[in-house]
Amino acid sequence: LGVSQVAETSQAGEAEIDLEVVREMLSHFTYSDFQEAQELILSALQEINEHFGWVSLEAAKVVADHFGTTDNRVYGLLTFYADFRTEPRGKHFMLLCHGMSCYVMGSQNLVDELEQRYGITDGGTTADGELTVQVVNGCLGVCDKAPIVKLDADYHHDLTVETFNDVLQRAIASGGGWRHH
Amino acid sequence: MHVHGDSTLPRLTSRSAFEQFAATATDKWNAIWSPVNTVVTVGVGSSSIAKGAERVLEAAAQYALPKTNVTVRTTGVDGADWMEVQVGVRRSGAPIVFYANVQPEEIADVIEGRLESKAIGVDGDQPYGDIPPLKDHPFFKHQHRIVMKDIGIIDPESIEEAIARGAYSAYFKVLFEMSAEDAIAEMTAANLRGRGGAGFPAGIKWESGRKARNSPKYIVCNSHEGEPNVYKDRRIHEGDPHRILEGLLIACVVVGAERAYNYIGGEYPLAIRRFRKAVADATRLGLVGKNVLGSGKNVAFRVRTGGGAYICGEGSALMYSVMGVRGQPRTKPPRSVEEGLWKRPTVANNTETVANVREIVLNGGAWFASIGTEKSAGTKMMTVQGPLKTMGLVEVPMGVTLRTLIEEIWGGMRDGHIFKGVQTGGVSAGPLKDEHLDLPVDFDSLTDVGGMLGSGGFVVFDDSVSSIDFARYLTAFNRYESCSKCVPCQRGNPALVEIIDRIRLGRGTKADLALLRRTSKHIIELSLCGLGQVAPMPLLGMMDQYPDEWESAVSNNTGTTLWLSERKTSAAASVDTTTAAD
Repeated sequence: LGVSQVAETSQAGEAEIDLEVVREMLSHFTYSDFQEAQELILSALQEINEHFGWVSLEAAKVVADHFGTTDNRVYGLLTFYADFRTEPRGKHFMLLCHGMSCYVMGSQNLVDELEQRYGITDGGTTADGELTVQVVNGCLGVCDKAPIVKLDADYHHDLTVETFNDVLQRAIASGGGWRHH
Repeated sequence: MHVHGDSTLPRLTSRSAFEQFAATATDKWNAIWSPVNTVVTVGVGSSSIAKGAERVLEAAAQYALPKTNVTVRTTGVDGADWMEVQVGVRRSGAPIVFYANVQPEEIADVIEGRLESKAIGVDGDQPYGDIPPLKDHPFFKHQHRIVMKDIGIIDPESIEEAIARGAYSAYFKVLFEMSAEDAIAEMTAANLRGRGGAGFPAGIKWESGRKARNSPKYIVCNSHEGEPNVYKDRRIHEGDPHRILEGLLIACVVVGAERAYNYIGGEYPLAIRRFRKAVADATRLGLVGKNVLGSGKNVAFRVRTGGGAYICGEGSALMYSVMGVRGQPRTKPPRSVEEGLWKRPTVANNTETVANVREIVLNGGAWFASIGTEKSAGTKMMTVQGPLKTMGLVEVPMGVTLRTLIEEIWGGMRDGHIFKGVQTGGVSAGPLKDEHLDLPVDFDSLTDVGGMLGSGGFVVFDDSVSSIDFARYLTAFNRYESCSKCVPCQRGNPALVEIIDRIRLGRGTKADLALLRRTSKHIIELSLCGLGQVAPMPLLGMMDQYPDEWESAVSNNTGTTLWLSERKTSAAASVDTTTAAD
């Protein structure tokens, strides 16, 4: 991990989504009329995004079929709402809280560190596929311990640039990843 | 997320069946607190989970396993984040003692009373030994809890505990004992103003909804809460979801709506799970559905979740999002109450507003109006963030001053931090300085000096934060969150960020300050929705309150670098915010 390592493709993230699993998930989203079908699209996409870490174009097509709408419409939602990803996550997944409370306590330093040292910005994945970061524009709600990140399943708080790097290096050295939780 | 209700719950089909169920629930509640038991309560919410609450809960359960007289309970978190992980212990013959910052390995010592150094206070009015009443602590002393009354007391996943503490009694009243007109009259008399920030009276909104001719009608609860410094609605969902659900069901009956929706931000999985559980349980019990308790009234309920777009907190955008399209606001009129969800009359209320309904219906509008100030009745949930000592979420009467909030409730600045200002109104207003701190906090008092109540979130910053950098952060937030539908907001906000960056990098001129004001004016006057119309306000506020910093940045061509290096040598603790990046 680091700026020096440049790889062409992401190794850790799965390049494809098992559409059978998607169909199984969608089978729970039953609807009785047009309106209900429309209302359920976002919820279904959220569940898929949460399970796989992203939603592929193919998966979006399956969703569109299930709810009787167009691929464009579904993909339009994926690119509008910030929580959705249209590319696979890396091995580790970090939510970096950049709410106002974290900001006044120094989260900008962490955002800068990610860009300068790891070469990634909001939504990006490091070249070696180890880490994906999502900068949270809202608030993780743990403001008394700002700045805070959620890395895979664990929270790390009161971070400085040094402890932030420690946390990242330890997580990467320990293997694991967001799928293992 | 598919959440099933509690399968042991009966289906209630009549008035008397509900009364019977409520009586049994009360007996069960009292049995929990039977004097022979030791009752251990662990506050588990999104903020305490981050500090290991689940491990503490597990340790407590392990401890209780071989013992017959120890009950371990889960509640939501009561707002005192600085005390987390918080554990309450009620030993036989003693009041509940509250312990702060409990670690899993300490649980046996805490329960058996060997770690009294962590005891912060006791329940009730009397001290217990050396431990003072919790309600005398500065963090709790000023509070008046209506919405948060049962948060931290009931198990949020138990409908029985909620009912034992009075949940659905107001719904019951509206179903059987009170006419819709009377209920609306009480709401209007209460002068309950919208807690999302706009402050529109809820009673008048309900009245317009009831009078709307088109049908079916809908109720929508705005639980999106995308502000970068607010988590109050999330905490109600996590701590007392039935209070929200009851308010919405009452709104349905009173307005004559077919269905209510709750639109929750997708980022809050625990809030969503607990609320879905509440809906599933209430449905099983027969409080949602057809012919509720034999009253002949039908109400339906749906939970919908958002996807991390700030703009979806705007009324019309939220409704588009519920309808499964991009959340982009539209021009008004028609207002939502005439043409909202699925082009039908829709009453939209904020979560906190809805959570006040139960107590207003039970105690009357006059009672509610007597709390707070004349024009801003009731209480408000508030959060203050930044380098302060006792952090958390409180519910205080309207009209409390910012100084009380910051210096008493939040315990003042942490050591090594010097107060510089407090950002108000989330990303929609400007900061206030020390001289403004004695103003009462309500809907109207802060606006004259460029501040705003908004949804009750305030962020204190110390003198390591440059007003120029902070303005850049706030403007960049609005740039990112613009839905790109209308040009002034879509193009204007990036332009503002560009100009601020020029100033920060030391290439700004005096003309840039004028350009910032002119561009801001365009965005404010020409944008379609509330986001754009207030997007430049934080920037203008920062320029108005800290003109010296801006003047010096453009006249010496130093940007914020020099400003910061000067501060760094003087301040004990400082934060480097010089580099430009999102």
